[in-house]
Amino acid sequence: MRIPDRFRERYCSLVDDEEAFLSCLGELLPKSFRVNTIKSSADEVMRRFEGYGMGLKRVPWYGDAFICDNPEAGFSLEHFTGAIYIQELVSMLPPLLVREELGKSRFVLDGCAAPGSKSTQIAAMMGNKGTLIANDVSYSRIRALKFNLEKAGVLNTVITNRDLNAFQNLKFETILLDAPCSSEGTIRKNYDVFDAWSEGGIRQFSNVQKQLILKAFDMLMPEGTLVYSTCTFAPEENEEVLQHLIDNRPEARLEKASFDGLRTSETVGSWNGTEFSGEIRNAARIWPHHNDTGGFFLAKVRK
Amino acid sequence: MRRRGTSEVISPPGTKEKVFGYLEERFGLERSLFDDYGLYMASKGRVYLGPRRVPDLPKIATIGLLIARVHGTVKPSTNLLQALGKRVSRNIVNATREQALAYARGGDFKPDSAAVDGIGDGYVLVRFEGASLGCGLLQKGMVKNMLPKAKRLELRYI
Repeated sequence: MRIPDRFRERYCSLVDDEEAFLSCLGELLPKSFRVNTIKSSADEVMRRFEGYGMGLKRVPWYGDAFICDNPEAGFSLEHFTGAIYIQELVSMLPPLLVREELGKSRFVLDGCAAPGSKSTQIAAMMGNKGTLIANDVSYSRIRALKFNLEKAGVLNTVITNRDLNAFQNLKFETILLDAPCSSEGTIRKNYDVFDAWSEGGIRQFSNVQKQLILKAFDMLMPEGTLVYSTCTFAPEENEEVLQHLIDNRPEARLEKASFDGLRTSETVGSWNGTEFSGEIRNAARIWPHHNDTGGFFLAKVRK
Repeated sequence: MRRRGTSEVISPPGTKEKVFGYLEERFGLERSLFDDYGLYMASKGRVYLGPRRVPDLPKIATIGLLIARVHGTVKPSTNLLQALGKRVSRNIVNATREQALAYARGGDFKPDSAAVDGIGDGYVLVRFEGASLGCGLLQKGMVKNMLPKAKRLELRYI
């Protein structure tokens, strides 16, 4: 894997340990899955997997998530029946950040839902009740979204296929905006991320995200909660997008994004000459070498 | 899929009664299980169980879960029987390990006569060690596979 020089220049100054960061990007991700509590329980799944002779390690910050020492969890009975959902660990964070809110919410939007990892998790956290709108702009990805929701036994979802910017002005209690991004943080599973990587691409994603976050915020009920997340390191797609929200919607308040047992890092204070608001420090960065995961960014915004 | 209004849409009249009546009679799935949900119809007799509150939105792709197809008779979906399998109380065929492997890869199997004792021909829930595998059709002593092709899997750990 060849890491672009410009990529190194951008991020090595932001991380605590440049060597650990760069070498981690070339390592395979651990295999992880989440128990689908609509169909099963962590204890039940653990018992079955022990019977298969597979070693499972419970994720310290999420009792329903496991790291599996065997890459063949996808050939298990539990995967077949939808009792487990194979999912990268950091991808489980956005719903987990608003678990409490989801438990009470009856009207929820997952704005960029395909292929459905987070939607299935949200539905489970809602107890498969209420209404979850799982939207995605890409028609070709709706099929995977539908398949995964069906497999997970999700009943409370309406799948829509719209550009979020053109979405009706409905008001939701909780919204997830796992925004389309340059996906730098997925390099450990998608080696071709660097093939298409460019700062121009980052700029384009940033512009799209700035529109989406305003739209999503406007669709919140008063006191509603929005989770904004990306799987990229680029400050243009993370802190800068939150700054854009704060500048245009001064009533937006950021709440602390943290998880017991997971190492998160401070956000970037300034980038390309722009100082970011202190409020943005409530968001969290996850660097791959700190928890042996993909890279991630997430923020919890209250209206 | 019809999607107007905020309440369930089901036609022709009597379809709801027919579907819920069948699920209760054949599988012991009580109607109260569905109290929090609405039924929605799509083309080709497809019936979906979804949220009660569905806003009037354009470009709805799907509401809820496909639970049955109604063409005169009711054909339950594997989705439904997998999702509510733990609540099913009758017409369950407990598969052996070999039969479960065959079922998961899309094959039919011949259950032991004890496994189908007292079960009349018709749709059944195929179970293995408490896990709900999906829908089968019991006919002349054989369980015909009703698993959609996309769900087939060569299981290695069972």
